[in-house]
Amino acid sequence: MIEQVAFYILSAVAVLGALLAVSRRNLVHGVFALLLFFAALSGLFVMLLADYVAAVQVLVYIGAVGILLLFTIMLTEHVTGDDLRRLGVRGWFWGLLLAVAVPAVLILPAVLNEKSAKAAPIVVAQGNPALANNATQANTVKALGKVLMEKYVVPLEVLALLLTAALIGAVAVAHAPEKDASGKDTPA
Amino acid sequence: MIDTLIHILALTAPVAMIFASLFAFTTWLERKILARIQNRIGPNYINIPFTKFRKTFGLLQPAADGFKMLVKEDIVPHGADRFLHLLAPILALVPAMMVLCLLPFDLPFANESMKRIHAAALDNAVLLFFGITSINTLAVFMAGWASRNKYSLLGGMRAVAQMVSYEIPLVLSAAVVIMAVGSLSAQKIVAAQSTHWFIFTPWGLAAFFIFFIASLAETNRSPFDLPEAESEIIAGYFTEYSGFKFALFFLGEYLSIFAINGLAVTLFFGGGNGPWVQAHPWLSCVWFLAKIFGLIFIIIWLRGTVPRLRVDQLMAFAWKFLMPLSILNLFVAAVALKVQQPWLTWPLCALVLYAAAHGLSRLQQKNVGPRTYQYAE
Repeated sequence: MIEQVAFYILSAVAVLGALLAVSRRNLVHGVFALLLFFAALSGLFVMLLADYVAAVQVLVYIGAVGILLLFTIMLTEHVTGDDLRRLGVRGWFWGLLLAVAVPAVLILPAVLNEKSAKAAPIVVAQGNPALANNATQANTVKALGKVLMEKYVVPLEVLALLLTAALIGAVAVAHAPEKDASGKDTPA
Repeated sequence: MIDTLIHILALTAPVAMIFASLFAFTTWLERKILARIQNRIGPNYINIPFTKFRKTFGLLQPAADGFKMLVKEDIVPHGADRFLHLLAPILALVPAMMVLCLLPFDLPFANESMKRIHAAALDNAVLLFFGITSINTLAVFMAGWASRNKYSLLGGMRAVAQMVSYEIPLVLSAAVVIMAVGSLSAQKIVAAQSTHWFIFTPWGLAAFFIFFIASLAETNRSPFDLPEAESEIIAGYFTEYSGFKFALFFLGEYLSIFAINGLAVTLFFGGGNGPWVQAHPWLSCVWFLAKIFGLIFIIIWLRGTVPRLRVDQLMAFAWKFLMPLSILNLFVAAVALKVQQPWLTWPLCALVLYAAAHGLSRLQQKNVGPRTYQYAE
């Protein structure tokens, strides 16, 4: 009962945050609405007893990605956040197509593998989540670490390499100041 | 279900209340210690209302301050974003209160079933701690942006840059302890230190120093109080705040200091472990608070003695000194944990870390010269 109420509240907040994020004209408001969505999402992860993923969601998305988004907006001319330009409606068809296609691609495997989806235990606990956690003793951190270090170690390393490359690339792009003919730095 | 809710309330509400009242005491302590350092007396004669009794050593000063904050006018600037201006102080306070409940703070009256709830929620307490404290950065930015004031925005941007940078050495130095214990649970980390606190290991000592410095920056304390540098940007991100909203920021800041020092005590000083705890379990809570206040005393002491850093010094210190050192410390700790011979690890670790710190500071000093200005000439 309490899980269902919490689920509906969190889902409503998530949808509201996502809608606000795309509909607000003010860029900074949009970012804060997006962060509200991330927070609600991490709450939903807690409902699924994936508390490690929830903590990482807060740490990475709210703590780092949100801050980076805000920082980027502050570096543009829209420091006040007001963007009065009207967005063009050209290309709405392709946008809509993409918006439908991405979730479809993500959800399709689960629908096709209906059998395995049914076999997977539904971990939303009946009754008390704290007690259910005790009962299953699901130490998600340890399990995740094992899976990442054994089964998925190659994708993990590739991902790490990619991120490192992106980091070095970003530093290289940002570090070299453009020189004009007189050899002086031109203000960006 | 109702039983669970009551237990959760019984575990969290006292923590929130204890630390909120300790906040009042800490402001008094800070004013007194700073006064002592600066050869003043500090607050000393607030009398009990409607009486002639004045010898309170200024202990009632926080109450008077709080009352003043409550009755002050709440001013919102004309151009400000009213909603976010209101939301920012709340958002600054809530995460600070939340993380206090993640600390392994053994309440004397907690029975077994309550403890189980506490433990179940804390499976990855340390990670959650860092996640929730990072929301604090957002509140500071929100305050700076919503005020629609140049100085506020500057303070907010400074805070964001500083907190994001110092979070890395903070987490990396905490990771050393997590590696040694093999768990993210605060209770297990404390239990692992029942005989030997991690501060008494070479890597633990180094990690604690990095953690402590980074935590000063993370909570905007002197010498890293650039986001609220009075001499440069008025009051930084809370320039446009008055009355009770200002008080909320103040409370949030002190609660974060309690929380982060509570984590330092958990990670390096054995939490509530101490003499006579075995015989009298209620002492563990006292030890925990005593250790936190020991660290807070050092923080106040630093505020009284060390001048503020420059922005570029601050960033260079985080990225070019603390971060390489904390990464090196991870490797040092891994080796030391394998070797397990105190007579060998102490000199070896000390030598490696000292050489690294010395080399890094030499590297930094090579680039120190007169400051060049890009746009201000």
